[in-house]
Amino acid sequence: MSISTSRRARSVGLLTVLALAATGLAGCAATHDNGSSGGGGGDKVTIKFAWWGSDSRVESTQKIIDAFEASHSNIHVEPVSMTWDDYFEKLNVMAAGDDMPDVVTQDDRYLTEYASRGLLADLASTDVDTSKIDQSVLDVGTIDGKLYGIASGINVHAVVADPEAFKAADVAMPDDTTWTWDDYSRIAAEVTKKSGGKVYGVQNYSFIEPVLEVYARQHGEEMFTPDGKIGVSQDTVASWFQRSVDQIKSKAEPSASKATEVQGAGVDGSLPATGKGAMAWFWSNQLSALEKDSGHSLTLLRAPGDHDFSRTGEYIRAAMYYSVSAKSKHPKEAAELVDFMLNSQEAGDINLTDRGLPSNLDVRTAILPKLGDADKTSAKFIEDLTNDKVVVDSKPVPPKGSGEVSDITGRINSDVIFGKKSPQDAAKAWIDQVNKAIGQ
Amino acid sequence: MSAITELRSMKRKRGTPATKTSTNLRRSDGKAAAVFLAPWFLGLVTVTLFPLVASLYLSFTKYDLLSSPQWVGFQNFVDLFHDERIWQSLKVTMLYVVTSVPLQLGVALLVAVLLNQGMKGLAFYRSVIYLPSLMGGSVAIAILWREIFGEEGLLNKFLALFGIHGTGWVSNPDTALWTIVLLHVWTFGSPMIIFLAGLRQIPDMYYEASQLDGASRWRQFRSITLPLLSPIIFFNLVMQVITAFQAFTQAYVVSGGTGGPSDSTLFYTLYLYQEGFSNLHMGYASAMAWVLVLIILALTGLNFWLSKFWVFYGD
Repeated sequence: MSISTSRRARSVGLLTVLALAATGLAGCAATHDNGSSGGGGGDKVTIKFAWWGSDSRVESTQKIIDAFEASHSNIHVEPVSMTWDDYFEKLNVMAAGDDMPDVVTQDDRYLTEYASRGLLADLASTDVDTSKIDQSVLDVGTIDGKLYGIASGINVHAVVADPEAFKAADVAMPDDTTWTWDDYSRIAAEVTKKSGGKVYGVQNYSFIEPVLEVYARQHGEEMFTPDGKIGVSQDTVASWFQRSVDQIKSKAEPSASKATEVQGAGVDGSLPATGKGAMAWFWSNQLSALEKDSGHSLTLLRAPGDHDFSRTGEYIRAAMYYSVSAKSKHPKEAAELVDFMLNSQEAGDINLTDRGLPSNLDVRTAILPKLGDADKTSAKFIEDLTNDKVVVDSKPVPPKGSGEVSDITGRINSDVIFGKKSPQDAAKAWIDQVNKAIGQ
Repeated sequence: MSAITELRSMKRKRGTPATKTSTNLRRSDGKAAAVFLAPWFLGLVTVTLFPLVASLYLSFTKYDLLSSPQWVGFQNFVDLFHDERIWQSLKVTMLYVVTSVPLQLGVALLVAVLLNQGMKGLAFYRSVIYLPSLMGGSVAIAILWREIFGEEGLLNKFLALFGIHGTGWVSNPDTALWTIVLLHVWTFGSPMIIFLAGLRQIPDMYYEASQLDGASRWRQFRSITLPLLSPIIFFNLVMQVITAFQAFTQAYVVSGGTGGPSDSTLFYTLYLYQEGFSNLHMGYASAMAWVLVLIILALTGLNFWLSKFWVFYGD
């Protein structure tokens, strides 16, 4: 008797364990299915939207999602927000697990990577309205004739300058329609000297590659050619690194270890943001964040030109792209969200220039009066670049593997500024490593 | 009879009656045990064994996470030998292991011996000293570290009082690794607790006897404490070497995920992570992981072999 009870007790125990295990598995299954079945209400579908950005962008994007859901009552949008630092690491893992969100924001460096693996849908074949977007902007998201990403907005890489720092050092602001690279280095050194070392002339530019891109274009080269090969010459890369070495020597920019620290501190810890530098390179849409940090107004300068100033090399870049997963179970609804983000005035009013100067021209015109001073400055800056024909052409979409270029550049730059590699050796290493990354 | 042999004979006595239990009861105990083990076993299979086997398979493939893996045989392992950064990361990791582990164990032993002098409020001091161990691996402390050793950090402000102009310790390739070694040494709490427990196991009579023979404190430490503590030292050594090889968080946070400046804090695991998740070379990263397993296995084996020469088990 007692034996049979204990046996029964045991089988109950076993069943409990099995039941627990089963619910655990069912739990997994349920979350997995969430995409297709959606929550509760009849035929309401759930789509996921992934983006990177700061807290303020998380808030504003949620507002846009709320507005979208209000006008599309059959769609529920599940936000997946991440920081820039781990965005692609996480997105890669999601894509590997066949769990990529329906709508994602994409970056230049990874667009080809994803497109070439069949992970992104051709947006030209969806209902997304692109009639209000400039063809040249659509081109930057087109690979092999397919529209894999539509730019949310546009950006240029430019010099952020602090007029107060110039004034305090008693150095005249450069005329950015005529200045050359030599002027740039000379003026930067002057600021450091005249301010008694309290303010540096400029922040090191060679930890990441955007300035090299501009520099290469000034030399009639492209970092990557349209057929996906390195287009920049070793000499160009070497002279680009050489300037960093020279400027550290002339104290135009901080010492190597200080530069490393500043670079690691991001936008908020950059020299102009902390009032410790007169100039630094940034994307134009970062101006308002920088102004907020520094507490006074900053301005944008065009890239210095070569000696004859025939070409400034500036290019228009997509601040980010909206892409739709090729494996989305709800491509129609996903496309509706992209359309809303791009074309609705509602979304435009909330986004303003946070995702670049809107690529939809009607939205752009409508938001201009609503912008703060910094955003007005950067909007006008881009407008002028286009009107003055400073931006003459767009650059090719970078090849697969180009996502590594930032890391490679940062690493080699450390070797250069700490004197472990000569600029020539560094340039050779840069070419070798980038070639390896893009599989050449 | 020493306390240890006494304990052993007690165990033996208690063990005898168990053999007489009916085999019937034992078999049903086995079933119950299986049921209780099931959740753990399920976890082992799904979250440990399966990924383990999968990574072994992936190490022989070219796998970029986004498309399906392609078999490439031993290519990844061949590539490993030609990869400059692998050697750099091994150099950094080895340097870290051979400096931080002995230093940490030394400090842990020293503090344990001091705490074992029978002071008042031992429990309090023990807890306070253990605290860094709980926090040391955390992201918050690593960030704090970056602040302390920065160009305008606490350390340099302190040095400035003496007119010394320090460098940015974390951002200088010559010093960055040492700040992480220091961080590791600072978390000496857990080996210290184990040492303390070991010290308390050493019977007082040895010290009393040697004192009568006129042995100095140092002599006592060398001839009694060290030999009797050697199994504990060995245990700590093996565990800490393994942990040190797997160090990741501190280097990741202190260098902002880059292993910089100039790859001076590029720990093996950090490089592995970069390759796998940022550079989409998951097959290569899996191969790296298995090489790390082999390295740790070999070093642990070496440790065990060497232990024959210095660990004293009192048998």
